Amino acid sequence: MATTTSPPKQQRQRSPKAGRGQKWTRDPMMGYLFTLPVIVSLSVFLIGPIIYAFYLSFQQFTFLNPDLSQFVGLDNYTRLLTDERFHTALKNTSFYSLGVVPVQVSLALLLALIVNSKIRGKTFFRVAYFLPTVTSTVAVSVMFLFLFKRDGLVNAFLSLLGVEGRSWMLDVDFALPSIMLMAVWTTVGQFMVIYLAGLQDIPADLYEAAEVDGAGPLRQFWHITLPLLKPTTFFIVVMSVIGTFQVFDQMYVISKGAGGPLDSTLTVVLYLYNVAFQDFEMGYASAIAFFLFAVILILTLIQRNFFGEETRM
Amino acid sequence: MRRTRVFSMLALLCGLSLLVTACGGGSNVGDNGEIRIGAQFSSPAERKILEEQIKEFENENPDIKVSIQAITDDYLKEMQTLIGAKREPDVFYLEGMPAPDMIKLGVLEPLNDYLEKSGVDPADFEDALIEAYTEDEQVYGLPKDYNTLALFYNKKMFKEAGLEPPTTWDELREAAKKLSKDGRKGLAINPELARYQPFVYQNGGAVLDEDGNATLDRKENGEAVQFFADLFLKDKSAGVPNDMGVEWAGDAFAEEKAAMVYEGGWMIPFIKEKAPDLDYGIVELPAKEKGAENGNLAFTVAYVMSKNSRNKDASFKLIEFLTSDKGQQYVVDSGLALPSRKVMGEKFVEQYPEREPFVKGAAYAQPFQYGDYGNKFADEASKAAESVVLGKEKSVANALKKAQQNLEK
Repeated sequence: MATTTSPPKQQRQRSPKAGRGQKWTRDPMMGYLFTLPVIVSLSVFLIGPIIYAFYLSFQQFTFLNPDLSQFVGLDNYTRLLTDERFHTALKNTSFYSLGVVPVQVSLALLLALIVNSKIRGKTFFRVAYFLPTVTSTVAVSVMFLFLFKRDGLVNAFLSLLGVEGRSWMLDVDFALPSIMLMAVWTTVGQFMVIYLAGLQDIPADLYEAAEVDGAGPLRQFWHITLPLLKPTTFFIVVMSVIGTFQVFDQMYVISKGAGGPLDSTLTVVLYLYNVAFQDFEMGYASAIAFFLFAVILILTLIQRNFFGEETRM
Repeated sequence: MRRTRVFSMLALLCGLSLLVTACGGGSNVGDNGEIRIGAQFSSPAERKILEEQIKEFENENPDIKVSIQAITDDYLKEMQTLIGAKREPDVFYLEGMPAPDMIKLGVLEPLNDYLEKSGVDPADFEDALIEAYTEDEQVYGLPKDYNTLALFYNKKMFKEAGLEPPTTWDELREAAKKLSKDGRKGLAINPELARYQPFVYQNGGAVLDEDGNATLDRKENGEAVQFFADLFLKDKSAGVPNDMGVEWAGDAFAEEKAAMVYEGGWMIPFIKEKAPDLDYGIVELPAKEKGAENGNLAFTVAYVMSKNSRNKDASFKLIEFLTSDKGQQYVVDSGLALPSRKVMGEKFVEQYPEREPFVKGAAYAQPFQYGDYGNKFADEASKAAESVVLGKEKSVANALKKAQQNLEK
């Protein structure tokens, strides 16, 4: 595709405003001082624990009695290879991600196109689509539990169509798909807003020029909108993949922490959580965390490669 | 110049972060004369009992002040993080299931010396209960109270169907079949170890051998689980509470969506609140045949002491008081659970004759505890039954074998 046209966005962002208050910015000390609270809290609550967790992943460690811990080398990592429950969790998470990401991204784009067009009441739609995003996942999960209950709304609706319902969240084959449906609904609004910003960044004169050249709406979409949205799409796909691989709260609420029925909603993070806080095995849990980190990193690099060099953000 | 300033800035940063982390390290378990007790309450009524007990204790020991640290969330998970941070209460509730793990990890104070000094005899407690907190003849906790399972039945439904409460498996099966109609189930029960294990015992099976190794794939276990699963699959007379649109079996019973449930004493205050007009009865769990040996489970909680407590003598005094005849009288009066002292069990039956099935059940109950396996064992064993009941696994024997293999790994 059009790899030679770099988006004009970057040039516009460099606005010549930076001249003001140069005296202040010249002194780096002030900069450090202002960022100090964030740097301190990040190093204490994020970077420190990450380094410590990496250290723990080579230990057999239980935080109830740290004196009993011992160095086990790569044992925690090799254990991942034979742990069947972990494989189930990884499989579920991949399935979840493969199902949710494409739907989420294309739906977000579609919605963004709709609310960006000249329809009536688009503010209403923007709010309506965005609303689930700001609702707490726990509240949404509880709501979906009610909707998908044996005597819930979904089954009542299906019975009108003559289809016999089931206890969706209790069914080994349907629990995960039901949650995926919910995940798309709750997060699509957020990505829609990002797409919307991307759409509004595309200069209108490009469309005008295309129109003069006789390009129809579909052509305009394929040759202007999509290529210029590429950096946005890259960002959204990466965020979506990361988000789906880290999915936890919906499953935790719906399966009451166990990942049931029969591990069908057990995700990597939920398994990690149970290993750490139920089985007392912090070292193994840390190893799972770093494995997940590696998976996400590799996937992100692959996507970066796929979307090309210009998507540097 | 500039470089040194940046450097000093970084040094300051490191210093600050060290300071922040160091502050979190200190231990503050119990100041002199003040102890904390960590507890979890299933209802406000339960909290009131503990408050009254503590008031009485403080009257008797004016030099000790006790504060309650109520944990509302996932109790065990929160307690573990507290222990990890060395901020746990001096005395806290501990269920039987995680007890062996906690003992092994050395976070509990052994109590034998204290017991000897104060003349408290562990033999005065129900055997199955004290056993759950004993390792190598060292006692680590004194049982607070306990519960066993009994069969709760809806009297009105039984009367309409012309049935008597079942006493054998066959009668249970017949009753459940007859009572299942109009979208109602005969029995609401979860396919989990804590509910099917009595069937296993009643059939002469066992899930652990004498050395504490898993023996899930015994033939007797398979027969029991088969009978259990048939209620769901063949007869369609038993239902999983969640599948019936309720949270737990108690709800199904209170909402009259089920005629029978296998539950413990916690049902009584629950029904009183949720369905005060419900006419129900409590009987012992049905045995396999007339005169056959029965089986049951004992769910227990004990008071244990933290090894990090700074006020161990006062802490033991509190444990001693709470588990004394006087302290247990509060449990008896509330009727919420069964008192753990043998003598008090008799008083309980005198006061609540209709709750005798629970006390009777204790005689043939085993503690709900699986050695070092703990949760993992319960998880695997429950999943075996669940996979059969949900139709994912056709053969009971295979399901149990798979669980057994997972545990042997």
